[in-house]
Amino acid sequence: MASEHIIKSYDEELRRLDNTITQMGGLAESQLATAIDAVVRRDSLLATRAVEGDVEIDELDREVETLVVRLLALRQPLARDLRQIVASLKISADLERIGDYAANVAKRSLALALTPPVRPVHAIPRMGSFCQHMVKDILDAYVARDADRAMSVWLRDEELDEMYTSLFRELLTYMIEDPRNITACTHLLFMAKNLERVGDLTTNIGETIYFFVHGVPLTQMRPKRDRTSMQTEPGGEDDHTEEL
Amino acid sequence: MTMDYSDATAPTPPPKSVPVKPVSDPMPPRQAKTLPNLTPQIATAAPATTAAAKLVVKCEVRDLRFYYKQFEALKGINLTLHDKRVTAFIGPSGCGKSTLLRVLNRIYELYPDQRAKGEVLVDGRNILDPGQDLNLLRAKIGMVFQKPTPFPMSIYDNVAFGIRLYETLRSRELDERVEEALQRAALWNEVKDKLRQSGLSLSGGQQQRLCIARAIAVKPEILLLDEPASALDPISTQRIEELIAELKSDYCIVIVTHNMQQAARSSDYTAFMYLGSLIEFDETEAIFTHPSQKQTEDYITGRFG
Repeated sequence: MASEHIIKSYDEELRRLDNTITQMGGLAESQLATAIDAVVRRDSLLATRAVEGDVEIDELDREVETLVVRLLALRQPLARDLRQIVASLKISADLERIGDYAANVAKRSLALALTPPVRPVHAIPRMGSFCQHMVKDILDAYVARDADRAMSVWLRDEELDEMYTSLFRELLTYMIEDPRNITACTHLLFMAKNLERVGDLTTNIGETIYFFVHGVPLTQMRPKRDRTSMQTEPGGEDDHTEEL
Repeated sequence: MTMDYSDATAPTPPPKSVPVKPVSDPMPPRQAKTLPNLTPQIATAAPATTAAAKLVVKCEVRDLRFYYKQFEALKGINLTLHDKRVTAFIGPSGCGKSTLLRVLNRIYELYPDQRAKGEVLVDGRNILDPGQDLNLLRAKIGMVFQKPTPFPMSIYDNVAFGIRLYETLRSRELDERVEEALQRAALWNEVKDKLRQSGLSLSGGQQQRLCIARAIAVKPEILLLDEPASALDPISTQRIEELIAELKSDYCIVIVTHNMQQAARSSDYTAFMYLGSLIEFDETEAIFTHPSQKQTEDYITGRFG
């Protein structure tokens, strides 16, 4: 924080809001890690722990909400303070959703563990750790009030989208190859989609940080590489999807 | 891969007159990764919203300096006030905001050793000109002070006072003007049955509205409000703010206030002053959401050391 308020308790409340957001970010990040671990190790205990851990993030989200309403009502925040408070509310909602997606991945890992292993499962930890780093870095950017750093995370989502698109194609191939793969591949597909959404939420947080720091919304369009909504059948060299 | 399919099944080719919609490529060519523009574009030029075309400059302050004896209280102020808009002056005590307001109708002339340099153009005429008729000026530019200042006379006479000073009206016309002013000041319903009672018998909020009625009775063009609600309770304050919003359609209004929320609620433009200088002037919304000057931000967020 640049300088302190004349009223010290105001600073304390803002700091508490910041701490809660940081705590949520840390939890979301470790939830993701646990969920991915559960997928890789086919460990139902880890999965259950990841599902249950979501409750804690939800609680912090409610705490942020209470703090924000209180600050708005009692402090009449303006300018930078107002932007910080609004940003906190938005970031908190995004982190809460990230927690939900991590829990979803963990839930599906329970079902996935009951099916025979398929090869594309390797892509999940790669996407997972990529997401995890994005979440970590975006939180660091928030703590440092560093819009440039937030924007570099914002741009990284493109790579995650590419991972998702290529995994999508791979999974389709597997399913076509052998219908017995369909159960496992469908679960993997949803997991990958969840992780791809985590990336999107992280970019939301990046945009919120940009607004918080600069006071104007980011208007530039984010480059997107998730093309699965246009995907039909996977193919080798005569893959026509580029022409659609 | 399905493009030819639709053409093949179409029963007839489309008539030539139908403009052919270009096939948009759902997958644009890969773009080079670029960092977004990291320098935000904050408008630093003159505020341009609220129907810029209709904005009429009512008053222009040019390089205004003001001295209390040797002390320079205003250090070269440049500022434009628009007609039918509310402009708020904010800033810590001693920043010069009240001084600036006092220059606008030359009320400072009542005191010795106070002088102003520079220009204040109202409708293009410099009111600091020694040839300016002060009575005419003050009829044109009304002022309401922090403390309600009703004259020790009846409610009716308070409002009629200024009118009698400048105009000779028949009593029925005068009655109409008094009623009109009290109506506009949102006081009529409360006092219409006791117009002959003393103005001092009213409550603080009513007294302040009486002063506003007195100021607008002479049909001024600019209304200067110096902390008009600082001594009032929240309900009376809101009445005054509502009144400002209504009067805005007819006047150019300037309000000096220490209450940031009041400036935010009731003005279109806000000027932040500090140590005799104008630090920032912009649309009120910009000042209170993303001011461009750090001093402004520190002040409105309560960080002034």
